[in-house]
Amino acid sequence: MATVAAKRKISPVEEIDINEGVNLFVDEPPDSEDDDDTTDSDSSEYSGLEDEPDTDDDDGDEDDEEDDDDDEDAENDEDEEDEDEDESDVEDSAEETSSHSKPTNQEIVTAEPDDKEGKITQLPDEYEYDSSDEEDIRNTVGNIPMEWYRDYSHLGYDVEGKKLLKPEKGDELDEFLDKMENPDYWRTVSNKLTGQKVLLSKEDVKIIQNMQKFKNPVGSDMYEPWIDFFTNEKMIHPVSNRPETKASFIPSRWEMLKVSQMVHALKMGWMKPTPTRKPDEEDETNFYMLWKDDEEPEITRQYRQYIPPPKVRLPGHAESYNPPEEYLPSEKTVQRLKKEIARGKTRTIPQKFSSLRLVPGFKYFIRERFERCLDLYLCPRQRKVRMNVNPDDLIPKLPKPRDLQPFPTTEYLVFKGHKGIIRTISPDPKGQWIASGCDDKTVKIWEVATGRCIKTFNVESKVKGVAWNPNPSLSIIVVAVETSLIIINPHVGDKLICSKTDLLLNSFEEVELPPAPTDKPKVTEWELYEDAEYELGFRLKIKHQREISQVTWHGKGDYFASTMPKGESKSVLIHQLMKRRSQNPFSKPKGLVQCVLFHPIRPFLFVATQKYVRIYNLMKQSLSKKLLSNCQWISSMAVHPGGDNVIIGSYDSKLSWFDLDLSTKPYHTLRHHTMALRSVTYHKRYPLFASASDDLSVIVCHGMVYSDLLQNPLIVPVKVLRGHKAAKGLGVLDCQFHPSQPWIFTAGADGTIRLYT
Amino acid sequence: MDENTPHVQAKFYTKQSQYSVPDTPFSVPITVGVEELSSLINGLLKGDEIEDESVKFDFLINEEFLRVALNEYLEQRNISTENVLEIEYIEHHPAPKPDNSLLHDDWVSCLQGYSQYVLSGCYDNTIRLWKTDGTELMTIPAHTGPVKAVKWITQDEEDTSPLFISGSHDQTIHIWQWNQEKKEVDCMVTCRGHTESVDCLAINNENQRFCSGSWDKMLKIWSTASASEQDEQEDSTSTQKKRKKTDQIIPTRVPIVTMSGHKEAISSVKWLNLTDVCTASWDNTLRIWDVNRALEKSQLQGPKAFFDISYSPSNGMVIAGGSDRHIRLYDPRSTDGAVVKCAFTSHKLWIVGVAWSSTNDNHFISGSHDGIVKLWDRRSPKAPLYDMTGHEDKILAVDWSIPDLMMSSGADNNIKIYSYSHHKNISS
Repeated sequence: MATVAAKRKISPVEEIDINEGVNLFVDEPPDSEDDDDTTDSDSSEYSGLEDEPDTDDDDGDEDDEEDDDDDEDAENDEDEEDEDEDESDVEDSAEETSSHSKPTNQEIVTAEPDDKEGKITQLPDEYEYDSSDEEDIRNTVGNIPMEWYRDYSHLGYDVEGKKLLKPEKGDELDEFLDKMENPDYWRTVSNKLTGQKVLLSKEDVKIIQNMQKFKNPVGSDMYEPWIDFFTNEKMIHPVSNRPETKASFIPSRWEMLKVSQMVHALKMGWMKPTPTRKPDEEDETNFYMLWKDDEEPEITRQYRQYIPPPKVRLPGHAESYNPPEEYLPSEKTVQRLKKEIARGKTRTIPQKFSSLRLVPGFKYFIRERFERCLDLYLCPRQRKVRMNVNPDDLIPKLPKPRDLQPFPTTEYLVFKGHKGIIRTISPDPKGQWIASGCDDKTVKIWEVATGRCIKTFNVESKVKGVAWNPNPSLSIIVVAVETSLIIINPHVGDKLICSKTDLLLNSFEEVELPPAPTDKPKVTEWELYEDAEYELGFRLKIKHQREISQVTWHGKGDYFASTMPKGESKSVLIHQLMKRRSQNPFSKPKGLVQCVLFHPIRPFLFVATQKYVRIYNLMKQSLSKKLLSNCQWISSMAVHPGGDNVIIGSYDSKLSWFDLDLSTKPYHTLRHHTMALRSVTYHKRYPLFASASDDLSVIVCHGMVYSDLLQNPLIVPVKVLRGHKAAKGLGVLDCQFHPSQPWIFTAGADGTIRLYT
Repeated sequence: MDENTPHVQAKFYTKQSQYSVPDTPFSVPITVGVEELSSLINGLLKGDEIEDESVKFDFLINEEFLRVALNEYLEQRNISTENVLEIEYIEHHPAPKPDNSLLHDDWVSCLQGYSQYVLSGCYDNTIRLWKTDGTELMTIPAHTGPVKAVKWITQDEEDTSPLFISGSHDQTIHIWQWNQEKKEVDCMVTCRGHTESVDCLAINNENQRFCSGSWDKMLKIWSTASASEQDEQEDSTSTQKKRKKTDQIIPTRVPIVTMSGHKEAISSVKWLNLTDVCTASWDNTLRIWDVNRALEKSQLQGPKAFFDISYSPSNGMVIAGGSDRHIRLYDPRSTDGAVVKCAFTSHKLWIVGVAWSSTNDNHFISGSHDGIVKLWDRRSPKAPLYDMTGHEDKILAVDWSIPDLMMSSGADNNIKIYSYSHHKNISS
């Protein structure tokens, strides 16, 4: 704006220069108008110029321009006719001409005194009588041919009716003498009206001479250069600074008359109004719908409502230039706000100014406007159908973990002694002992209460699975070592039970004989340990063809199943301890079997492959259900002691809870872990389940299953247990609950078992 | 002290008569701490008699130790400063001193002192006899499993052939006689009946009965007699299998009474009097049994599994340590109101051993898996009187049978002995 204004200021000055030049050069009435034109634009700038003496004249001049012209004509005529007109007339005419050519005005004025002094003496002071530019009224005969008074001694009458006597006319001689002696004789004429002699001024002479030469009598340049003030370009300033004429404020009487005339004519029926054409008919014929399909049905139009742009928040106290003290941010807050601004957020830092004058310009005004425009233009707007619901109502009402006690909260014991990755642990059914299998080729039995390693069994290779027989009246551990299962009597706890177990194991050898002569190729070979190894506690060895990854017991403690992921059609084998028999329940491979589990009550077998869990009815020998895990790779599985709920842990760090009564899809999926899950487990007594993961954490959840079929299981995560350290990229590999206490054992890759209570 | 600090009226009294001061209220500045009060009492005392050393005192307000400045204490308890405070003061308890360390070959799971002897049970199936000065007297290969409990039967210091019992993972309890003259230890009786490890033993005050608690959830009462004819008879009635197993002349004894009721293993057992036995179990309960009628008398539900309890005959209270970090004080006589009278929290891990002092009914010690033995005054639940460090691993048991010696055994194969210094005059 400022630059534009500056330009404006400069340009008139230039124009003025030009105009002044023109002024000096042209000396024409339009020229004065032009002056007005320029002065009009900025009165304050040109006050000095306007004060020029001639401007006053101009105003009057323009007003009566037309009248003047008329007068001129008349007076010119008079001049020609009355040659002996007195001095005032001459002056009048001189004045009139001067109005047209001002710069020459001065010359005339200077010339006049000479004339007065020289020629006209008998005339009294012109102000003694009427000096108006009305017709000369010294002679009241009017506009008649003066020949009529040729023979009279007078040539008319004055206002009072006295005879105006003809001036004394000399004789021919006087005439001649005068002609000889008077140098101005040639320009002396007699006024016909008064009979007086009038000395023509030089100007008059010039006019006459011009007229004789058929030139412009005034003698000015008729062909001066044309200045096109009224251009086709639109100017921002009016051409003239002249105020509106009075006439323009007063309603025109003539127009009124004319209108009233027309009204009267209309009333009388003399005048007929022009018939108005009907536009509708013509429109219909002229326009038509180019795209007929454009017509929207009413329903879609309802959806397509106008969506008002989002409103900008109105400024509050904080945006004030003089905010109340409590709105002024502290130093810290200012730092924070500045950081946020640097990050690209829109924040205003309230500032206090003592007065509005001191407020600096808003630095980001343009940017802010621009962004607002972008927002309005680029932001796609749509109407959201929102339900008017309190968001708190949508969150399921979960009880607080505090109310769900007891659950393990703190690490209390660390079982140290293993020198490798502990892959598997299994507590004994009474809860006094826990067995662990480790990569250091040992199986250790620990006392739970003190963390004391009671026994160590050395095996040939890394231990993949350990399972304590769930039957409390048997003292048996099954250990999975590479391609074989080893049955160990650990000889801890009740001695009677231990000896009974040995007795049982030995006594069934005879029963084992009859099924031996079968034609089928044996899937496994059962071997007995002897002597020294028997003394140590090793009892039986079941040789498989492939590497065993997992072993699990049936709840009764007679059957147990082993998993061989690479065993193809023999990937799952079910063994019967008492009869020393192994059988392959599946004739066809089912995929990579990850783990198998027995149903705690009914004769079902859960087989988890990579993505699915199949539930087989062992009695009917048929598939009963197939659970879609919705995860990439199942790592572990646990069955609720009630048998109707299953949890599955997967390598893609998900834990899925299946309610078998509900559906084959997960009832609930928990994604609390950040890395692969290694183990999931249920507590046998308390409504707890836990998951162990490579992210070194074990998450304990409250999982209440209601006997009421209408109520869905309640799942509340209650505790994250940490403590294990990472080793070889593995974290916590197994977790098992204590059979009776709300305690959890975790086995880690760092070679420790930890007990949380 | 500033003139401006507000003052409070305090009346001092003590049960230790040699330190008694006049029963007039004093105006003390409210900002004073224990040390200022202590010097105040000392000043009062010195007016009466001339002592060489100033005595350090502890102050109790409403049966609770003053550990902070007086004004803080009053603010915490919302006690008005208008009334006259009654402040009890007692001589500051001197610090216990580490006395001895008895090194074993394996984890020491249990111990008990008697006279100047210490009996300890080890995870290498042995029982060891020590003198308190640190000399090892004997190592007895007693059991076929780790020894979990040992107790002296004989309380008489004059006895030259004291008896003791031991319980073990091998499910048996042996009664031993130590012939001091012959320097021999003989197994007198083998008590059979438990089907799981015997975890705790307790002798009654008259030394005629003892009871045992086991992982098999049973509480059994036995006779302590070193030899009795009953044994033989009972032995013959016992099953053939047991007979076969022992293969020795050692007579076998069966329990007088067996009481079941606990749902989990019994971890600790104590006699309350001649007829009542209190047991603590992993099933979160304390149960009191009437031995004569073989009944369960009452039951106190705890929040966590119990590992050890101790009963003080002098104040009738039971302290219990369990599978969390709190020691809880129970009153077995009360049936209404809060079950837990007080909780003492300072340990960081499981509390596996607690023992009352037999001489000071306010003091007890506790041992935890965090390897620290703490001496507590029951009037100071927030902080123990002293922490006794020394163990490098878990503590498995503590004992305070000898009034002067606090002992603890742990998984670092050590028994640590700390001497308990008495006041010059023991409070009544």
